[in-house]
Amino acid sequence: MSVLDQTAKGLAAFLAQKWGRPVAIENLEQASAGARRRNLLFDAVSGSDRTPLVATIVPFAAMQLVPIEVEASNLQLAEAAGMPVPHVHAVSSDNSFVGGPFFITSRIAGETIPRQVLRLVERTPGLGATLARQCGAALARLHAADASRAHPLVVRPAGSPLEAALAVSRRSIDELLQPSPAFTLCFNWLKRNIPPAPRRITIVHGDFRNGNIIVGADGLRASLDWEVCHLGDPMEDAGWVVQRMWRFRNDSLEVGGFGTRDDLRAGYQEAGGEWNEARFQWWKAQGTLRWGLGLAGQAKQHLDGSVPSIVLAASGRRVAELEYDTLMLLKRGFE
Amino acid sequence: MQDRPTASELLATIADLLEGEVLAATKGGLQHQVRVAGNLCRILQREGSLGAAHDAREIALLASVLGEPAGGRAARALSAALVARLDAGHDAALERRAFPALLEVVRSKLAIAKPGHDDYDFSGEQRG
Repeated sequence: MSVLDQTAKGLAAFLAQKWGRPVAIENLEQASAGARRRNLLFDAVSGSDRTPLVATIVPFAAMQLVPIEVEASNLQLAEAAGMPVPHVHAVSSDNSFVGGPFFITSRIAGETIPRQVLRLVERTPGLGATLARQCGAALARLHAADASRAHPLVVRPAGSPLEAALAVSRRSIDELLQPSPAFTLCFNWLKRNIPPAPRRITIVHGDFRNGNIIVGADGLRASLDWEVCHLGDPMEDAGWVVQRMWRFRNDSLEVGGFGTRDDLRAGYQEAGGEWNEARFQWWKAQGTLRWGLGLAGQAKQHLDGSVPSIVLAASGRRVAELEYDTLMLLKRGFE
Repeated sequence: MQDRPTASELLATIADLLEGEVLAATKGGLQHQVRVAGNLCRILQREGSLGAAHDAREIALLASVLGEPAGGRAARALSAALVARLDAGHDAALERRAFPALLEVVRSKLAIAKPGHDDYDFSGEQRG
């Protein structure tokens, strides 16, 4: 029996138990398989009912950044806050069904692959601006949610979230295999120009961007991948969705290659979000620096043998892209 | 002297194979790795023709920012020396000298690793 067949059998058994009636799994298809997640699309058929669903499975319990129920609870919190997300139908930490912990959500039609999203935007007049506004509004709703209701295992900063992010970057710089004066120059600028911490600590998605959203002709349908959701500065999300690496060569459109920063901000403010330009700019540069340091870290994982991979090896030669981007974002600070 | 093909010609041949027949015969994660491997061959080709000149220029630029003779030091040692100076305390004059030099060093790395990445200049989104 193939792995996929075994998974279908496990999902059918789980849903039959949960729903109290026989369930057949049809049209099972692997959507993506990362190191930490397998996403499977399928229809659950019970009598004349057909429900399109997605199973998010952690292949090995040890690979979880956070327990699966924490990710599921993040989704539920976001849904309650009015952010478009897939509805969570079930969560299970029982490894016996599909070989690892998993949760099941509704399946939402639309584009998720960034270049497909950009193609849809290209052929749909006005969609790019609408989508950027909807992204702003979705983030504002998430940030308005009561952070005290977040799962107790959701990561939260001890003090200023900006200081906490800087401390992580400092450690990454200290661990570089070769010195990067460009990153050091940018890090020192960020340290000297750190804005005051926000008045409110909020729920932060942590990886909200083109590539983690479902988009249709009507715009934003859902936000995916809640694994790195944490508590912090809401402007961290705003500064992340505009990173150049999520624009997929449409560099002049800051938001995912489809919209402008003005549209994002307008959507955020219209939905009641409190935009702070200084922190937005700071997080944007910090996010670029962090990604560059992350790429250097990937190359290190290949070189020290912990994760041998030609893709991680190649990440090392991408560091210069992020050095360039960080330097350019901070250019005016050195004139 | 090695016989033809040259290193650059061989890398081009390997890249052509990877990006042609091998890419067509693979799919999914392996196909992605093949694409990456082909691109790495192209990077090595450019490094072969530009690398030595770029390294020499980087050494000269770093030494000039430090205000010291290179003294036979490699780019790595000079980079480490500059990092130490940048971390020793805020020196606005040093930072102003360092910025254009580091930008030139990074641009020369991009000419090998990702030509065209620096065509975009972030005008309109630099912090004020």
